[in-house]
Amino acid sequence: MKTIRFALAVFTVVVVQTSLVADVSIAGAYGDIVMLVPIAAGIQHGRDDGAIAGFVAGLALDLVVHGTPVGFFALGYTLTGYVVGMSKATVLRAAWWIPVLTALAGSALGVVVLGLLAKMLGLEGFLDLHLLTVAAVVAVLNSVLVLPMLRVVRWALPAETRGRLAAA
Amino acid sequence: MALSRRTGRSRLTLVLLVLTSITALTLDYRDSSVVSTLRDGAAKVFNPVRNGADHVVGPIGDAWNGLWHYSDVRKENERLREQLDAARGQAAQNQDAAQQLKALSELDQIQQWTALPGVDARIVAGPLTNFEHTLELDKGASSGIQPGMPVVTGAGLVGRVVEVHDQRSVVKLLSDPDVVVGIRLLSSQETGLMHGTGDGQPLVIDEGIGPKVVVPPNDLVTTSGDDRAVYPPNIPIGVVSKTALSGDQLRQVITVEPLADLSSLTFVKILLWLPAP
Repeated sequence: MKTIRFALAVFTVVVVQTSLVADVSIAGAYGDIVMLVPIAAGIQHGRDDGAIAGFVAGLALDLVVHGTPVGFFALGYTLTGYVVGMSKATVLRAAWWIPVLTALAGSALGVVVLGLLAKMLGLEGFLDLHLLTVAAVVAVLNSVLVLPMLRVVRWALPAETRGRLAAA
Repeated sequence: MALSRRTGRSRLTLVLLVLTSITALTLDYRDSSVVSTLRDGAAKVFNPVRNGADHVVGPIGDAWNGLWHYSDVRKENERLREQLDAARGQAAQNQDAAQQLKALSELDQIQQWTALPGVDARIVAGPLTNFEHTLELDKGASSGIQPGMPVVTGAGLVGRVVEVHDQRSVVKLLSDPDVVVGIRLLSSQETGLMHGTGDGQPLVIDEGIGPKVVVPPNDLVTTSGDDRAVYPPNIPIGVVSKTALSGDQLRQVITVEPLADLSSLTFVKILLWLPAP
């Protein structure tokens, strides 16, 4: 059941990304709400589920987009989810703004990770000054949307499934 | 002790996921049929849902873009009116030249790219993420489109088809640094290689043009159509905006402004032409 819920959530987020978010550019940069899935999973459940959610969401996006090889977003989001999930053990999350700040920093980090991966894989034209604009746009949008996304992640991955995503 | 076991398991999970991703990347780079089958399957499931979603949420995106880009649209409208007036005058002057060119081409049995059969298509999606230089068209294999076919607008070359599904196809734009085009300079007839440098950036010719070749500003750059070229000859690409010598002084590095506005395409034409095998 939880696997179906999670798959449904990822599918919906990918549809919204490709139909709406990719249509709206700010200073030549697009939002990346698929990255918010591993970030929210990492904040909610820690590094294991952050990494696994990142792999699944990234692989789903990889199969839909055309300009990047399959595995590119899976790898980038896995690393992002894992690093963001590490903050769960170190940050006291009593205040509502802690996830917001975590999403802001995590998203900027995720964009940089993807830029570096693109360079390593020979995808030219992405690791430049425009990447800073992309990082800023993605970070701000994701920090705004992280609270609703945390609700989605709580629904898709309830607390009792914590750490069980791998087993599902 | 328990903490260190948990940490060890976390690292193992991470390593397994990273290795799986690298395996997927390797398979894709080797053009594995597994990856293309998975992509085709995903497209079959995903495209109908996305088409429906586009109809529902498309107006939201349009409203947003209209709100934020209103002044840009007005300026562009004024610029386009000026260009249209200039083009009308130019078209009248060109009629005579076109007739002469047609007569000469028929004599020499040279095929002009404008005479090639083509399929008109609408752009249904731009890049879906920040890490792509592709467009998606509403025509695919059912309209006779195949990977490798050139894509043009009335202004000139914009890219090449790289992926084809039944009702959709994907175009890689000239702005992609991985796209290399064999070119010819109109004034000197010298040939070289050109590539993109990213979205909204000019194109660059950095191979084939020697330091002594005279390259006037606004010189027209077209496809060369040499042997084994992947584009037909004489398709306009852009005009020269800047020239400089390379670091080793052995060739020129020429900056080219594309004639087609690659950032705001709506309709394109796919030329039903494939390079010789």
